[in-house]
Amino acid sequence: SNGSADTVDDAPVTVFHDPDNFNVKHPLMNTWTLWFTKPPSGKGDHWNDLLKEVISFDSVEEFWGIYNNITSTSELALKSDYHLFKKGVRPEWEDSQNKHGGKWAFQFKDKKAINIDALWLHVMLAAIGETLEEDGDNEVMGVVVNVRKGFYRIGLWTRTIGKAGDGKNGAAKGRTPEQGREVLMRIGKKFKEALGLESSNEVVEFSGHTDSANAGSTRAKAKFTV
Amino acid sequence: KIETNKTVEPPQPTAGMQALKSARFLQVRNEALNYPEGIKSPNPALNQGGKSKGRQYDKDFLLQFQEVFREKPSTDWELKLKETVGDSSDSARPQSAR
Repeated sequence: SNGSADTVDDAPVTVFHDPDNFNVKHPLMNTWTLWFTKPPSGKGDHWNDLLKEVISFDSVEEFWGIYNNITSTSELALKSDYHLFKKGVRPEWEDSQNKHGGKWAFQFKDKKAINIDALWLHVMLAAIGETLEEDGDNEVMGVVVNVRKGFYRIGLWTRTIGKAGDGKNGAAKGRTPEQGREVLMRIGKKFKEALGLESSNEVVEFSGHTDSANAGSTRAKAKFTV
Repeated sequence: KIETNKTVEPPQPTAGMQALKSARFLQVRNEALNYPEGIKSPNPALNQGGKSKGRQYDKDFLLQFQEVFREKPSTDWELKLKETVGDSSDSARPQSAR
C-alpha cells in the first residue's frame, strides 16, 4: 500500500475518525530507525554490543505507537542514549555517512529544572516532521539524547561540517564554504527552536565529529554557535 | 499424570494494530481530507515545497496523535523491548488506559 493512484478512491478514514478501523496513515518523508545504547555492565563490554537497533518506522501513527509504549528518557538509567537516525545510517562517527560530519548539541545541566521527555519528543517531532532542514539540504542524519550523571544532552547530527564537499557523500556538492556554513547555521537555529531555547541566552554549539574524537572528550572547541 | 497447560494462545493483534498494518499512505498534498472537527490539518505552508511530496508536519499537527494512537507496534513488543532497551524500569511505568 504505497498510496498509488488506483487506491485513491477509498474514502480516507484517519486514526482521528476511527482508531480501530482507519484505512490511511500519514507518511513520513524518511524511514527512521530508533536505536538504544545500554549502560555498560562494567564487565568490559564493547560499545558496539551495547548499541541496539530497536525498530524502524515510516508513518506518524507508527511513531506514536512506539513512543507511547517505550521507556521514557526520564526513566532511563545513567549512561543510556536514544538515537533516532535515518534508516541505513548507524549512529556512530565511524559510519561512512557520518565520517565527515558533526553535531549541534546542548547540555541541560540542571536536570531537575527541565522536562527532558517533552524536549526529546519535540526534537524527534522536528526530525520526523522534516522541519529542521529545507529541501535539498541533505544534512540531517539523526538526533540523540544522552542521559548522564550531571546532565542531559540532546544532539543533532549533520552530514557535513559546512566545508565544501566533493559530492561523494551526497551533500554539499557545489556548495561554497560560505553556503555550507549558512545551511548549518539555519539548521542550528531550527534545532535551538525545537529545544525551546530560541529566546534564551543559552548557546547551542556545533562541533565536527573528528574534532571531538581528537580531543578525546566531548569538550572539543565549538566551530559554530547559535 | 502431568497436566500440560497448552491452552495459552499467542496474543492476537488488536484492531488498531491491524488497521495500521493494512492502512495505505495518505497522499497529503493531493487528497482532500476533512479531519474531524477540532483536528488541525498539517500546515499547508510546509507542504507546498517542490520535493516535499506533502510529507512535512509541524509539531502541533503531530502532537494531536499522541493520545489517539497508543497501540504497541507488535504483539511481541514486550519481548523486543526486553532485548533492546532492557527491562530496568519500564515495568514500573504506569500503562495509560485507552
